[in-house]
Amino acid sequence: MRRRALVKSLTVAAAIAAAWEAVVRSGLVSRIILAAPSDIVQAAASDGGVFLRAFATTLAEIGAAIVIAWTLGIVTGLIVGSSRRLAAATAPVLSSIFAVPLIVLYPLLMAWLGIGSLSKVAFGAFSGFFPIVLNTIDGVRAIEPRYLALARSIGATRLQTHARIVFPLALPAMVSGLRVGTGLVVIGVLVTEMLASLGGVGFLISYHRTLFDTGHVYFGMLLALLLAVAVNIGLTRLDRRIGRWQRREQAQE
Amino acid sequence: MPIIEVSRLVKEFGAGRAPLRALDEVSFAVDKGRFVTLVGPSGCGKSTLLQILAGLTAPTRGEARIEGERVCGPMPGKVGMVFQDPTLLPWKTAFANVEFPLDLRGDDRPARRKRCAALLELVGLAEFADHYPHELSGGMRQRVAIARGLAQDPKLILMDEPFAALDEQTRTRMGHDLLDIWAATGKTVFFITHSLSEAIYLSDAVLVMSPRPGRIIDTIAIDFPRPRELDIIGSAAFGAIRNRIWHLISEAR
Amino acid sequence: MRAAIAGYLIFVVVLLGGWELAARLSAVDPDLLPPPAEVGAVLWQFLHDPRFLGDLALTANEVAAAFVVAAPLAVSTGFLLGERLHLAETFNPLVHFILAVPQSIFLPIFILAFGIGFLEKVLFGITHAYFVILINSFAAVRSIPRPLVTAARVFGATRAQIYTRIYLPAMLPLILTGLRLGMIFCIIGVLLAEMYASRRGIGQLIFDWGEGQQIPELLAGIVLISVLTIAVNELMRLAELRLAQFRAAAAAG
Repeated sequence: MRRRALVKSLTVAAAIAAAWEAVVRSGLVSRIILAAPSDIVQAAASDGGVFLRAFATTLAEIGAAIVIAWTLGIVTGLIVGSSRRLAAATAPVLSSIFAVPLIVLYPLLMAWLGIGSLSKVAFGAFSGFFPIVLNTIDGVRAIEPRYLALARSIGATRLQTHARIVFPLALPAMVSGLRVGTGLVVIGVLVTEMLASLGGVGFLISYHRTLFDTGHVYFGMLLALLLAVAVNIGLTRLDRRIGRWQRREQAQE
Repeated sequence: MPIIEVSRLVKEFGAGRAPLRALDEVSFAVDKGRFVTLVGPSGCGKSTLLQILAGLTAPTRGEARIEGERVCGPMPGKVGMVFQDPTLLPWKTAFANVEFPLDLRGDDRPARRKRCAALLELVGLAEFADHYPHELSGGMRQRVAIARGLAQDPKLILMDEPFAALDEQTRTRMGHDLLDIWAATGKTVFFITHSLSEAIYLSDAVLVMSPRPGRIIDTIAIDFPRPRELDIIGSAAFGAIRNRIWHLISEAR
Repeated sequence: MRAAIAGYLIFVVVLLGGWELAARLSAVDPDLLPPPAEVGAVLWQFLHDPRFLGDLALTANEVAAAFVVAAPLAVSTGFLLGERLHLAETFNPLVHFILAVPQSIFLPIFILAFGIGFLEKVLFGITHAYFVILINSFAAVRSIPRPLVTAARVFGATRAQIYTRIYLPAMLPLILTGLRLGMIFCIIGVLLAEMYASRRGIGQLIFDWGEGQQIPELLAGIVLISVLTIAVNELMRLAELRLAQFRAAAAAG
């Protein structure tokens, strides 16, 4: 059965590719705007190595930005969220900053940190930070006081309360923030690579655009999309695993 | 020496113009090994009193002593608590929930596993050790909470209307089983409820509290022999005590 | 509420104070971080410079045009999909795919297809705003309590009455949130397009300043954009709030 479905999907995909190729070759849409599948394959064949190296660069930048954004976001969120006053004062400010199109800050990072990987990592981390910290704060604030009363009554230390009770209870909200934040990290790194960079997938996309090598542009975009979708799937899995018990609890109530 | 000694306890909320007096010079004592219930109408301050005994809140005036020691904070080794909401940790199994206080305390694995198995057996949930809270009924969750309250082997168990959220039949059943657990462990139980029948059925003595501001109107000794079966609830003697307490409370308004 | 205001004030004070302090540090290159006063002076000059104001107006026009086109389109599509669920099922995977994908990646294609003029930026802004508003409008329609509609029909309400008295008030909050988010995304899209490749516009100015390491101008531009976007966001949030209060009052009355 599963093989049937797979064959079906592949046939449909092949049909779409063939139609796509035909449309482009017929001249209906300019080849400069819409690359044919054969152009993309050709780009992969001739410059696959270059693209792969760029992919590795982008991946490394995204990885570094994720580590920074997650750590700073979660730790700040846990600390701020633990105090009602601090949360009430800080969350609105953070939320407002988040409304600013952060991309305007990139030229500043560019001027300060250059156009290498450092400015990309910094921007990516900065973009991802806000949803993570805001969601973590929400998650901690939403914890019902009875859990804290329980912690006190069984003699848990502050550290134990935070690590063994607060953290797990806030986890579903936190992961929600991680999903959005990580998505923003990926976009942030790719977009800044497109704007001004020495390497990375975004850079190649921009570069080939200026040469009107649309096949290469599409190939690069394909890689970027694969990256974004892969990250999204990974995080959705995480969200599903973590949120399991919480959803069941809510269903019971 | 009585295990609980409360002398001239006063609790007021909100300083300044018109503080709300929840407890008005409450004094009483409870002897070791007894089952004593505090009964009173909703809002009379009984939960506040329990919070003070549990060390979760401080009195405005007066003092509470447990085993001669003044209460300034939670005393997990001496006092176990069961709240109205079982407040089990949803991501832990029944067994892990009971184990949790011992885990925090740092007891070594084999010892605490043995103890938890025995406790779950005691509350009649041995087969449900691996179940998660969302898989258990309200009554079963409360049993787990009772087992957890007993985990650190406290001398005194405080129970804050633990069966109030359960349906009538489960509630009566739980009361009966609680008496068995009490008889088997020899702890002192200080129980809070607004149900007169529950108070009389369970206790050696009933402290009757007035409506707000709460004070102890009277102490009624309950002399029914133990072990007590549920049929005493319908007896004339039972009814007489009930009427007496009911009048005491309504006259105090 | 007061905590939030305090938070904003503290933030602004800390930001300006920290900035001033950092600028005075001898270790910091004054070219990289000019003091706030200098940036303020530059900003003041900008606000009197017709050419700058022209660029600002251009960007604002692009944003407005994109929003004015995207909003009604997205709201009506969302409404249609919400009402005709079978259509929604067909389009659901497509919409989710597009959302999972960083739309900003397609900028080079837009440029290849539409050049770098007004139209290209508006179209790019439209795509950014459209999907966010669509999702929220769809949710808005789904959030209408069906029993309410049935009850209204039973009481003989006409179509118009059902739409204005039930649908509209129920849908408004989510639609407004969608519009606010759509505006933010629209601004991001337009600015990105200007930064990437444009002859005029605030985004292009900022990017040029970044490349040219003209930090005072760059910071002035960033401050201005931040203030403007935060203002727009807060105004729209205020409108949402006012409407929620109005609804509550109308429902009570």
